[in-house]
Amino acid sequence: MAFTNAEWLPTYEELTVPEINMTSAPLRAGAHHFGKYCDEQCKEFMLCNSEQRDPRKCLNEGKEVTRCGIEFFNKVKDSCLEEFNQYWKCVDSNHEMNLSYCRSTQAVFDKCIFEKLGQERPELGYFSKTRVHKTVRPKPKPYSDLPMPAETPGPPKNIDDMETPAITKERRGGFLGIWN
Amino acid sequence: MAAKFRQEMPPPGGYGGVEWSQKLAKAKLSGYRTFGLMAAIGIPAWTYFGYQTTKYRDVRREMTDARIAMEPLYAAEQHRMYLKQLRKNRDDENELMKDRPDWETGKWEGKALYHNKAGRFIPAPLEEYYAHSDALSAQRRYLDHMKH
Repeated sequence: MAFTNAEWLPTYEELTVPEINMTSAPLRAGAHHFGKYCDEQCKEFMLCNSEQRDPRKCLNEGKEVTRCGIEFFNKVKDSCLEEFNQYWKCVDSNHEMNLSYCRSTQAVFDKCIFEKLGQERPELGYFSKTRVHKTVRPKPKPYSDLPMPAETPGPPKNIDDMETPAITKERRGGFLGIWN
Repeated sequence: MAAKFRQEMPPPGGYGGVEWSQKLAKAKLSGYRTFGLMAAIGIPAWTYFGYQTTKYRDVRREMTDARIAMEPLYAAEQHRMYLKQLRKNRDDENELMKDRPDWETGKWEGKALYHNKAGRFIPAPLEEYYAHSDALSAQRRYLDHMKH
């Protein structure tokens, strides 16, 4: 195992939150509205990931994303269940879950979302473009600030003064040489 | 009795002139008409091509949008699952090697596997991630990864 007992790994309690139990078709069908609804949380989480490069440090942001997702899909369930079911069944009916075959059901779903949640469908390319995100999370310390190890001593001036280093077990390797 | 002698003569009016010039078929369409036909086929074709290109580009872009919008949700759950498994692996190793006082979890001959002063997150190798499962799990996972 690559992790020692001294290294920090989150406990099971920290890692266990209610997850979304949904299949891919409803998730695909609700993707645009979910992205708009949870825009801030998603951007915060992805920024944290790209800054920290460490899943342990972005757990709270990730939990926030999942909580927001559950909240959004619960709201859809409460207010637009009929329209949503109709839409995702249409999306599921073509093999690549392409949204372009389901414009009529999508219009009904969008209308319901606009009436109940007051949210319009984001324009085309909204998620593909670069978006600016403002955060209060402090910037992580760069790795270049870490103290460097002491400088390696250089080679001796005169090669005749050099001692022949003893052949230790580390230098020799195992019985099988390079295969060991 | 021999037939009456008759001298062969050219046809009346004489032979025609020798046809020495090349014979060309008459063009069915004039140059202007050819250009006109090209324009008549080409302009609607290119217009339709442009329309189709834009349309399918927009369809692809919409699908890309949908994937990007869902990525944080998947990534959050995936990270939690990954860390949970790492935790489980470490706990299992502690439990498995508790009778060996010379064994330290995550170390080999008393040394940690990685020189990691900065505390970076180093993803576990596939074999270590699947260390406590059955023999072919890692390979199955690898093959599954190659399919997509």
